[in-house]
Amino acid sequence: MAIINNALSGALAAQVALTASSQNIANLQTKGYTRQAALLTAIGPDANPRSSGNGVQVSALLRFSDGYKSQAMWRAASDLGAYSQTQPYLNQLENVMGDETASLSAGIDQFFGALNAVAGDPGSTPLRQQVLTSAGLMSERFNGLNNVFNSQLQSVRNQRSAIVDSANAQIASIAKLNQQISEAQAGGLSASAMIDARDQAIDDLASKMGLEVSDNADGTRDVSLKTGQALVLGSMHGTLKAVPTATSPQEFSLSFAGTTYVLDANKMGGQLGGLTKYETEKLVPLQKGIADVAQQIASKINTQLALGSKPDGSAGTPLFVYTPGSNADMLKVTNGFVADDLAFSADGTPGDTGNLQKLVAIKSQPITVTSIGNVLLSDADAQLVGKLGVDSQLNKAALKTSQTVRTQSVDDWQSTSGVNQDEEAVNLVEYQNMYQANMKVIAVANQLFDATLAMMG
Amino acid sequence: MRIATTQYQSTMNQSLQNNQERITHLTQQMAANKRILVPSDDPIDSVRLARLAREEATVQQYRDNIASIKIRLTKTEGYLSNMSEELIQGRDLLVWASDGSNAPDDLKAMVSPLESLRDSVLYNANSIDQEGNYNFAGTLTKTAPIAYNAGAPLGSRYTYVGNTNSQNVVVGNGITQPANQNLQGIEKLLNHLDQALNTLKTPGATANDPAVRSVLSSALGGFDDALNLLSSKVANLGGSQNIMKTLDANHANVSLSNKMAITDIGTLDMGEAATSLNGYSTALQATYKAYSRIGTMSLFSVL
Repeated sequence: MAIINNALSGALAAQVALTASSQNIANLQTKGYTRQAALLTAIGPDANPRSSGNGVQVSALLRFSDGYKSQAMWRAASDLGAYSQTQPYLNQLENVMGDETASLSAGIDQFFGALNAVAGDPGSTPLRQQVLTSAGLMSERFNGLNNVFNSQLQSVRNQRSAIVDSANAQIASIAKLNQQISEAQAGGLSASAMIDARDQAIDDLASKMGLEVSDNADGTRDVSLKTGQALVLGSMHGTLKAVPTATSPQEFSLSFAGTTYVLDANKMGGQLGGLTKYETEKLVPLQKGIADVAQQIASKINTQLALGSKPDGSAGTPLFVYTPGSNADMLKVTNGFVADDLAFSADGTPGDTGNLQKLVAIKSQPITVTSIGNVLLSDADAQLVGKLGVDSQLNKAALKTSQTVRTQSVDDWQSTSGVNQDEEAVNLVEYQNMYQANMKVIAVANQLFDATLAMMG
Repeated sequence: MRIATTQYQSTMNQSLQNNQERITHLTQQMAANKRILVPSDDPIDSVRLARLAREEATVQQYRDNIASIKIRLTKTEGYLSNMSEELIQGRDLLVWASDGSNAPDDLKAMVSPLESLRDSVLYNANSIDQEGNYNFAGTLTKTAPIAYNAGAPLGSRYTYVGNTNSQNVVVGNGITQPANQNLQGIEKLLNHLDQALNTLKTPGATANDPAVRSVLSSALGGFDDALNLLSSKVANLGGSQNIMKTLDANHANVSLSNKMAITDIGTLDMGEAATSLNGYSTALQATYKAYSRIGTMSLFSVL
């Protein structure tokens, strides 16, 4: 009877192994699926000294996974998230600010060109009118650029809100899966599919923010931010919030078990950290820099105009109105300003161009611009665009590196946990053979039994 | 190392992605014939290009200024040369008037051409441009430079009320050129002419009268002074025109070298780009082939 029992255990074990292979093949293209295999163990003999053993058993379903490789993959997801979300914004700014004909520099050139052209014939109304027109166009370029900055700021904030919403859903699902996994494992059931789902959720969450993940004995995983605040502890989880407050246009906080912590989004890593760094380190200083240029052009031109005289001999009045606060009308030509209001004369005679020369010379005067320091007015935009180019180039390089690291870490993970169809084909053949061999053993045992019965007959 | 089946796919995708991205970039570069499409392609050279464009804009402004000055100078030169020619005719008339053999009637006959000459000089000196600005008032362009006061004593009825300031135009780095002119001094001729006309109109005036002769001779002196004034101004204008021409040629050279630098830095090396494009498309085709081979390889197909 031992033969039949042994053969039966072999056939059953082969079936389990075949089922595992079939599950692997079925999930050949499933993202995040961890391959499984039956772990076969021989059953030892009983008390009978002539017993060779009691067959085979599937002692466990093996999950082929390597915790270190998962961790590496999640870290790479955070880095990739940080750089990938910033690049589209940088690309847009580069295209807007780098365009030769639509750039600020070209607008400033045209304004000073128009001023210069009046010098040849200071009494000419069309030439004076041209100064007003080009002053208006230059202002429009400043305002247009400012609008791009403002819409980027808005979009960065909206994007972060959306990220926080979906991160909360993932945090909750990690905690829920943790609970299900610990229950399943305590009951001796296979939690592989749930573990895959939870790790997939951690991977998604890792692209949104930098994470520290630690394993617990009951199969659950604790997840916390790089800065230490816990997001998930076993089956408990916190909730992220991003809301405007009195001090910040968008403040991040984490509520966990009744306590709320304010988070420094700059240090969060992943998409949230990347977007925040872009906002605070690139976008806001650049917007400030452009506002500095606008403010100083306006103030220098207005101050110089006030020192001159209009053709009728009266003192000059301001051409530009600069409104601080980064609104859509940052720089404007004074309402009702007409060509004859331009005070080009230094000595009060209508044909004098002394003050005009000084206005033209403003183009090569130094101004102070946030993030680049003292520069010539004519060079300020070129330097700001140059800095943007360097920033974008660095981000592109970092993005490329983090993409390679992520691809590599996913490949590494796949090399342990991914399904290879040829391997499964071999398994199918081998376990089929094993099944058939065991069936043969049953047939042989049956024949032995029949032979014994016949002898009795 | 163990390879998962999906890893083939991701490697393949990566390779297709990389090649296609490079090919797109190269095609864009070739379409625009630009090496630098956005500043981050080469931040240093893109700043150099921006600066060259700024310098080019400045040089172009100098050249535009020179062109507009040349037109004004030519116009002014035209006015002044015309005046000179008229003055020469008037001077001839006065030389003839000073001839003692002229009868009083002959002298009377000269009054009308001299009067029209006086008016013409006044008209020219007070000429305005299309916008009503006076051409020869220095920088007091809204004031007629020669004022006439009928109540003043004869010989001082015309006065110059413009100034002698220049309208300076920047035509190069630190170089300015006056674009305007004034006619201070021409009022003396007008006063002399006024006196001479008054004398000639006096009934019975004769060139043999020493008092008449003295008036005529000082008027002649006035003509000589005015002619000197005009011809020196015309000569100066000619000189300025030449300087403008030389300066413009200099600017043209700088502009050319700027443009060459812009081309050198910014233009795509088409040969190199075409070679790279070829390389990437070969790699892409090889990837297609590899995929079609690997994709069909499976142990299942022989079971």
